[in-house]
Amino acid sequence: MRTAWTSKGLVGVAAAALATGAFVGAARAQGAPTAAPAVAPTVPAAPVPPEAEPINDSEGYTPPVEGAGAPSPLSIDGYVDVGFAKAQGNGTSFAPGDQSIPADYGVDTFAPAVNSRGDVASTNSNGRFVNGFLPRSVGIGGNASFLLNTLDVDLKYTPGALPLMVFSRVQLLPRFTGSGDDTRVYVEQAFGRLVPFESQELAISVGKFDSVFGIEYLDNEANIRTGVTPSLVARYTTGQSIGAKLFYRVQIESLQSAVSLNVAATNSGNFVESLQPPDASLTGTPVASGRLGYELNTRGVQAKLGASGLIGPRNDQPLEAAHQKVFGFDARVAVAGVYLNAEYVHVDEEEGGPKTTSLGNFPISSAFWARGGYVQLAYALPFSIGALRKLTVYGRYDRRHAWFQGFTPITVDRFTGGLRLDLWEALILKAEYLDNRELAGAPTVANNVFTSSLVYSW
Amino acid sequence: MRLGLFRRLLLGGAFLAAALAAGPASAAPPAAESRGWLGEELPLPLAVRTPQDLAVKAAAEKQYLIFNLLAAGKLAFDGGDFATAAAKWEALLRIHPLDPDLEKTIRPLAREARARAEGQPGQAAAERPPEPTASVAAEAAAVSPTPAATATVSGTVSGGGPQGPGGAVVWLKRANGETPRPAPARGKVITQRGKTFVPRVLVVPVGTKVAFRNDDPIFHNIFSLSKPNEFDTGLYKQGATYTQTFRHPGAVQLLCNIHASMLGFVVVVDTPYYAQADASGAFTIRGVPPGEYQIEVWHEAAAKPTLERVSVGAAGLHGLALRVAGDKRTPQFLPDKSGKPRQSHLGY
Repeated sequence: MRTAWTSKGLVGVAAAALATGAFVGAARAQGAPTAAPAVAPTVPAAPVPPEAEPINDSEGYTPPVEGAGAPSPLSIDGYVDVGFAKAQGNGTSFAPGDQSIPADYGVDTFAPAVNSRGDVASTNSNGRFVNGFLPRSVGIGGNASFLLNTLDVDLKYTPGALPLMVFSRVQLLPRFTGSGDDTRVYVEQAFGRLVPFESQELAISVGKFDSVFGIEYLDNEANIRTGVTPSLVARYTTGQSIGAKLFYRVQIESLQSAVSLNVAATNSGNFVESLQPPDASLTGTPVASGRLGYELNTRGVQAKLGASGLIGPRNDQPLEAAHQKVFGFDARVAVAGVYLNAEYVHVDEEEGGPKTTSLGNFPISSAFWARGGYVQLAYALPFSIGALRKLTVYGRYDRRHAWFQGFTPITVDRFTGGLRLDLWEALILKAEYLDNRELAGAPTVANNVFTSSLVYSW
Repeated sequence: MRLGLFRRLLLGGAFLAAALAAGPASAAPPAAESRGWLGEELPLPLAVRTPQDLAVKAAAEKQYLIFNLLAAGKLAFDGGDFATAAAKWEALLRIHPLDPDLEKTIRPLAREARARAEGQPGQAAAERPPEPTASVAAEAAAVSPTPAATATVSGTVSGGGPQGPGGAVVWLKRANGETPRPAPARGKVITQRGKTFVPRVLVVPVGTKVAFRNDDPIFHNIFSLSKPNEFDTGLYKQGATYTQTFRHPGAVQLLCNIHASMLGFVVVVDTPYYAQADASGAFTIRGVPPGEYQIEVWHEAAAKPTLERVSVGAAGLHGLALRVAGDKRTPQFLPDKSGKPRQSHLGY
């Protein structure tokens, strides 16, 4: 084969290309290069001549600010949560033959929850006196039953010109219990949020909003919670209240970390709805709560740690001198599809007078103490087979030690195991079994539960 | 990093010298034929933190490119792949400024390779090796400075739900035969501004590097969980830029680990025939050789892409009416980089 080149010539040219005076000279003239960091931002390619330019280059599409194609400032989302549950016994934790009163103080374990709201199968005490320390009930007793848990509508308005967001979450809670129609429309959240500074991660919210205590409130809705039911300590930490809150976060670039502070002053504390008066402050003195958090957000590991505290008048009665003091610690770690959530809560409530909760008026507000927590482990496996998008297996261990003034301390624990299937983009099917154990201070009751949930988001 | 690069350059030089010393008629080493040439890895992964770094990087990349085009052309020529050899050397000759000695050496070689590739009577017709494979020919066509006669495909996309068809990505692939490999686009930038991605949707050919630049006075942490194009920029502050190469076709969802409402897309296509619809849905694809094509339309509000078969004649194809569904809502809860959904109204 004949070619027009020579080996000698090309070797020389190649050598010149490898070590041209221009290259070396330029490098020297510009000084020694700096050490390359392990992870460093890079600048777009240097002016290297292209091999060929794409003919159909595109600069991308950005929706117009207004007019056709502009994003709507109003979004309406929501979900409907239906379920099927079967509780052992009569669906309560009241032991047959136990005559101690108030009945609810004598068990405290109640029946394990059957839905994401923490509603239990039954709170029927068969006529024995209770003092209002009760969760809400779906009233199915020990019968296997389908449930219509929640119909949720979320409205979010974000005017483009202002650093403002208005959010409301309204829920229809159909409850056809043994005592009749207890269906309610519940305004769970309604608040405005202002981000006053462009250069700071600072947000101020006013209205009725989620708790700032701990981490379980982040997953409190059926369409975002990993499993079906809340933890044993959720009733102390996940309630909504009216007031003002401030969130502030500082990013630490060198550590791929952030430190955040979330504080609130509200009419009441974070006990769940059934344990709070309906929205109003009964004392005029706000409850202060807050969480100091640390986040590590690396490529492989995300970890979030927090310490929370709350102090103020008790939710349920008008004596300002009767305080509630709560503190807790939380951790979330996510690695390779494995999610670990853990939380510890320490509750002290001082003795007060007659009390008012959203379940009614009750004559006694005994001092109450609770220590408890949970560890939840979940593994999510992404799928793309037919309708299946994700399969998650999860398990949770709960333990709580609690006592009322003058009553025997009660210790319970719970094992929860479940499976979750994410179908298409909008449907979640969850099923779990709760094994509830009375370890000390309360008679053993058959109150385990199988429950399931089908959540359609729209 | 820099020492490693230099070592690679020197090793490459030694390898080239060995290949050339074996004589122009000898076959290229099998190892070189079985792997991708180093020149495809440009730009070099050199960190740039100062203007001096940038100058060094530019100089290194230029020399690196020169060397690789030079050597890759030689290896292709020796292997009988004249189309590739011509393409490589022609690309080399487009570099300005180019060393005059190098240009003097390469220009006749490029002409020789082009002549052989096009089947013209060369200097040694009897020794002409087999014709290049279809894929190589297509690639050569894609990078050829004088492409064959092409046409334009234009039309309008409709649908897309409430947000309309704007941002729809339209692309063509050959219905019978291999689609030419596209050249990567250059200078693609997605900025983060006002806690949004600008642009929100960007279409790029495979192999394109996209720079993510933070124009906000706050940190961002852009990431994607869209396999196999997943990435994570880590935290980066105002003015900083992170560059990501998109090597696989498909829609890549862009998210921010700090701001739960930020959503954007890079749509990576493995064809040079693509376009992005404007707000009215209008699109134009240029440079399409006549033939049968499968046309595909992606839109963020459509659960499935629209697929149609079209025939492009010498006069092109105009007034094409395509429709995308609007059946996919923007997710209410976008995930963080662990995959956990977040409620955007909480926190910040």
